[in-house]
Amino acid sequence: MGRLAATVERLRREVRAAQADAEGRALVELAKGILVERLGCGPAEAARQLTELARQAGVTPLEFAVEVINRASKDRVSEVTDAFMAAVTGSVAAESAAVRLRAAESGALAAPDTQAVADSLLQHALGPLGAVAVAIWSAGSDGSLTLAGSAGFAPVEADRWHYVPPDVATVGRLGLTELAGQWIGSLAQTGLPTIGRQAYPEGGRVAVPAGTGGRIHGVLEIAWPSFLEPQPPQVVRQVEALAELCAHTLQVYPHAQVADREPRVLPDASELMDLADGLHDPALVLVPLVDEAGQLVDFRIQHVNDHFLDPAGRPRAVVNGALLLEAYPMAAVGSDLFQRIERVHATGEPFRARRMSLTALVDEVPLSAVADLSISRHGTCVLLIWRIEDETARLASLLQHAQRLGRIGGFEEDVLTGETTWNDQLFALYGRDPSSRPVRLEELGAHAHADDAVSIGRFLRTLLHHRRPASAAFRLQRPDGVTRHMRIVAEPVLNAHRQLVAVRGAYQDISAQHWTEVALAATRDQLAQTEQHASERSRLALQLQHAIMPPTRAPLEVADLQVAVRYRPAEEEQLVGGDWYDAVVLPSGLVMLCVGDVAGHGIEAATSMVVLRNALRGLAVTGAGPGQLLSWLNIVAHHLTGAVTATAVCGLYDPVRRTLRWARAGHLPPVLVRGSSAAPMPLLKGMLLGVVPETSYEEEEIELAAEDTLLMYTDGLIERRDRSVEESLTQLLRQARTVAPSLDQQLDRLLTYSRSDTDDDTCIVGIRLS
Amino acid sequence: MSIAQNPLSVEVTLPREDVALVTVEGHLDLDTATEFQAHLANQLHHGRRHFLLDLSAVPFMDSSGMNIILRVYQEARELPGSVHVIDPTPAVRRVLDLTGVSITVPISDKVDDALALIDRSQQSPEAP
Repeated sequence: MGRLAATVERLRREVRAAQADAEGRALVELAKGILVERLGCGPAEAARQLTELARQAGVTPLEFAVEVINRASKDRVSEVTDAFMAAVTGSVAAESAAVRLRAAESGALAAPDTQAVADSLLQHALGPLGAVAVAIWSAGSDGSLTLAGSAGFAPVEADRWHYVPPDVATVGRLGLTELAGQWIGSLAQTGLPTIGRQAYPEGGRVAVPAGTGGRIHGVLEIAWPSFLEPQPPQVVRQVEALAELCAHTLQVYPHAQVADREPRVLPDASELMDLADGLHDPALVLVPLVDEAGQLVDFRIQHVNDHFLDPAGRPRAVVNGALLLEAYPMAAVGSDLFQRIERVHATGEPFRARRMSLTALVDEVPLSAVADLSISRHGTCVLLIWRIEDETARLASLLQHAQRLGRIGGFEEDVLTGETTWNDQLFALYGRDPSSRPVRLEELGAHAHADDAVSIGRFLRTLLHHRRPASAAFRLQRPDGVTRHMRIVAEPVLNAHRQLVAVRGAYQDISAQHWTEVALAATRDQLAQTEQHASERSRLALQLQHAIMPPTRAPLEVADLQVAVRYRPAEEEQLVGGDWYDAVVLPSGLVMLCVGDVAGHGIEAATSMVVLRNALRGLAVTGAGPGQLLSWLNIVAHHLTGAVTATAVCGLYDPVRRTLRWARAGHLPPVLVRGSSAAPMPLLKGMLLGVVPETSYEEEEIELAAEDTLLMYTDGLIERRDRSVEESLTQLLRQARTVAPSLDQQLDRLLTYSRSDTDDDTCIVGIRLS
Repeated sequence: MSIAQNPLSVEVTLPREDVALVTVEGHLDLDTATEFQAHLANQLHHGRRHFLLDLSAVPFMDSSGMNIILRVYQEARELPGSVHVIDPTPAVRRVLDLTGVSITVPISDKVDDALALIDRSQQSPEAP
């Protein structure tokens, strides 16, 4: 086995040596040819001269041959080798490098195809630099890359990478965009995909554009097996020279090298002029101007079409035929327009941009305009089209982009017809088919997490009742089971009579942002310990409230009695207080209904609320009447630590007799809605809970009729700082008269349209007889 | 709602050594309750046992104002002493009835009526 491997290795060496010999011979032959021409001698004499001169110079005939070729050609390769020689004079490495480059060039020029060029480059020039593989990409005018040749990569890998479509960011593609090329220390650092990445994941890469005469034809990509240190300038120049070598083999348009001729009207230019005349936007046909050294220096404005208007106001004839940089000096300085054109000309890859700012000099004053640009190469010419943007169109497109980028979906809802319109993005955010029916604002709660019912209720109230712009954050539960954190922002649209006619707004997916905010909040909390403590206490109060009284609850049904409850905590967490409600069927079969309010806010109020609510439940089991229950509850409140005061209203409904016995302790009396009238029940005598050690409470019993609705509520529903209780109550009664189809909807509406202006807890218990 | 818009004026006179007649003018609400409370605490500190609160010029009182009345009521009861409300406006009267405070805190039309009530209760000290 070992012997076999050794044999294979020996044979390989022999093949390589033979090849090197052959290529060396080719160089010597080339040098002989030069000597024949320079010395005017025959080939035999030239060969003799070469050997003799090499002996005198103390170098091998091969190295001397390279020297001769360098002197004769004075091209890019010789510059590089000269510089290299100068840098390390006399060193064997330098001389062999020169030989290597020439050998590579010779091999490349003699090679039948780009594949052979790649082989030659790797073997002669790049292998000695430590590179293990090379790829030569040919650039398509659409920005795609085609693997024209490669060496050192596994054939399967080369096959897989035979084509890279446009706009795919690979190492080669980046090499195409940077004129200086890409020098990557380790592939792993960039994460860019490219040929052979699996074989050398940590290896260095270099990708250099391969171009001649201002035209880029492709990219030379070189792979190293391990980390590539920054290379000395000599090596960089060597690689650039090799890339230029590759360009020759890749050249598609030989006539691009019009070096020392004035640009003339080429056949493709005349066609392009016709095309430009048919366009409705201003268009210019540009022809490259190349200097003697083959460098692109400017473009001549070969033609301007009928729609062209000079931004500086000059006659068309003045611009026509002028050089681009002379006519528009700002193209190179004020914007990167010239560079764009240069690039398009170099690569053939069209450039299109929205809202590019163009600057023109008008009487030496730079004037800016915003335009959509299109630059494309046709043959050797470049077509430049611009369209000065119209403001309305610009805003619309800006909005469209912003919506897409910000994951924003827009909607509009007609309040009168109930018709809702969504844009496509909103369907996407909701995970609904664009052909499905949009979700109306009123139905929002059904698509959100149950715990967000409160904030959605508040949002609808601000928007529909107060007719003010509103926003809310909630968790959207999509039909596909995905939960997304959304923000909804909406504003009312009022007509001339200030009536609400429509609502328009937007949803934004803030899932990512939400977690950032959560993280930020956590950090803030750590910084402010006291604040954290306070907010935790507020949150605890809220949690306590939530645990005992969920914001909404499945309606309770007892015989022909329907019970619904709503609880809305104060918006500011620290204001969350001691409101409570209760609706429970007692062992006697009676239904106890209660609403109460402990004075104060925060954890103390919430704790007292729990005590009072549970105490009342416990006391109610004794079978006592509401007046007695409240007087006992007064004792409880009075003896609580801190002597809290609270108000409450308590009723016992008898389903058999359809009667309600009730009493109140300093609390607003319930409201009875019967038919189209709504009225508060009488102001029974009853002291606040907890003020005096002992007191009694007046009781009343009423008979309820079918369809009657009774509402118990806390003052968060009506309290206004600028109105008396009387006035606030009148408003509530007006609202209560509008009978909703269901009890639940009625309570929702009361919350939505309440006139309260204080941010206080609100509880409502409603009962309806069927 | 700033204090400048709804200034609270509180005037204290002493019809008797241990009786403070506190005449309030303006809204008694969240913004002004603290000021009202400071006056009452000051009088408690100076040994007054009976408080006559003239609310005839208070057009509006919310729960904050009422809580102050309840607090001074509880303090005075310990002394023992008393709290009386004189001639409340209908809106204030409504709040006192609603909360049941009027059950415990007597409401009189005139200062003299309240003073008479104090005299009567001092003859039978067990009454509130």
